Amino acid sequence: MNCASPKFDPIPAKAGIGLRAPHYREILATLPAAGWFEVHSENFFGDGGQPLHFLEQIRSHYPIALHGVGLSLGSAGPLDRGHLARIKSLAGRFQPGFVSEHLSWAGVDGRYSNCLLPLPYTEESLKHVCRRVERVQEFLGRRILIENVSSYLQFKQSTVPEWEFIAAVAARAGCGILLDVNNIYVSAVNHGFDPSLYLQAIPRGAVEEIHLAGFEAQGDILVDTHSRPVYEDVWELYKRAVLRFGITPTLIEWDADIPPLAVLLEEAWRANAVMEGEYAFSA
Amino acid sequence: MRFLRELQRDFMEAVYGGDESGFARKAVADEFSGRERLRLYRHIAFGNMTDALRAAYPVVEQLVGKEFFDGAAWEFIRRYPSRSGDLHDFGAEFAGFLSRFPSAAILEYLPDVARLEWACHKVFFAADRDAFPLDRLAQVPQSRYGHLRFKLNPACRLVRSRFPIRRIWEIHQPDYRGERTVDLNEGGADLLVRRRERVIGLFPLGPGEWDFLSALGAEQTFSKACGGVLIKNPGFDVAGRLRHFVADAILVDFYDERKRRGKSKSA
Repeated sequence: MNCASPKFDPIPAKAGIGLRAPHYREILATLPAAGWFEVHSENFFGDGGQPLHFLEQIRSHYPIALHGVGLSLGSAGPLDRGHLARIKSLAGRFQPGFVSEHLSWAGVDGRYSNCLLPLPYTEESLKHVCRRVERVQEFLGRRILIENVSSYLQFKQSTVPEWEFIAAVAARAGCGILLDVNNIYVSAVNHGFDPSLYLQAIPRGAVEEIHLAGFEAQGDILVDTHSRPVYEDVWELYKRAVLRFGITPTLIEWDADIPPLAVLLEEAWRANAVMEGEYAFSA
Repeated sequence: MRFLRELQRDFMEAVYGGDESGFARKAVADEFSGRERLRLYRHIAFGNMTDALRAAYPVVEQLVGKEFFDGAAWEFIRRYPSRSGDLHDFGAEFAGFLSRFPSAAILEYLPDVARLEWACHKVFFAADRDAFPLDRLAQVPQSRYGHLRFKLNPACRLVRSRFPIRRIWEIHQPDYRGERTVDLNEGGADLLVRRRERVIGLFPLGPGEWDFLSALGAEQTFSKACGGVLIKNPGFDVAGRLRHFVADAILVDFYDERKRRGKSKSA
């Protein structure tokens, strides 16, 4: 019954799309010109049935990346070994080009919020997160990428800005960075910093993947809802990111009010155009 | 790591407990907006969990309406915090919660519909299993038959209700196009919830079948399962039904408890 595992397929330096259930059938029927797909690892934690069936078929046509939303990397509690074992088993089966997690925490002491909560950026947090990333990489037997999250509050105990913190985690723990340009923009507006500072603080070789998505304004705060097209200012920031980091696999994420696949393909086309244009310009 | 742990505990308390002022004062850079921002995180967290419940219990939501569902979900989340980083695990206690939720008491069948939907949710993600190992069964000496215990297909679950929950479930499916009335006096349902390939179906079981499959599914020995069903249903065709459950891959495996124990001892 088990098919042979696909061979490892690196993620191409092109735009990809977040794979969501409403699009499974259309993707298989039309095999659109997307460079690659990224999935939320937890959506495939089941033992069988529809999700794995479709992922197997889509994987036979495209490279995929696994993106975790629930490991709670920054939690002060113990690592959830069961959760990690499921990621490992998926990685073994689908040979993803990237395995990524968020630089955040979701719960502690067995109680979860199931959202991406920010960390206080202290030396204590840095040591803890680095140790956790090292353990995860050791368990999975591969390098992971960590992603910056959108945040709506800052802790008074933080001693360094987020950009220094994430750069330090990558340097000390030996992981890559999944730079979410929309999250940088959202946090910059919410906390009043210059998003260019963020880009400049991230070392050139550390960014292996970029995320783009849409947000919504709720009062005076921007919320990372993944429910809208990429905002114009975020496209501008993305251009600057491409100038700094070069052509980088870029993902279009959309998780709520999911539009027709054609809308996502158009956003991906635009990301490719930015990469080609900006790279040509900078070369 | 004492500080990080304390901060995270306090944060979770503010999110679940609803009192954000202490934490905002202690830890958030801007205390005034901090309270508002903590409320936003609670809103996102509860919203994510409500969406997970909505995905697992679509018929319950149709029966009570969105507003009622959201209210019940928020109350449920406060009482049964999420225990997993995987939201697909969230909501197992929802049927029990609804049975004790005073505002839902008028819909007596609601908790049973919720139990049915949770069974469908589990079956949706269950393993795909191969056919029953008939060759191995053929090698079992007849004297051991009574000691065998069977394994239910992981994509099968049993749900019993005194209400017509199969009918209620069916008329609330997105592709249903028929008469939308339910006679609540039409009687209960003993159901096998089963996924074949990728489609979930509900199959009514006769009284003997229910007793027999429940006993086999609970991994009672074959002789005990037969004894139980025959006392309540004299003349029930145990051999015929077993053949059917095996041929239809409702049962997918078996083991002999004594032999297995013996093996593990010698190992």
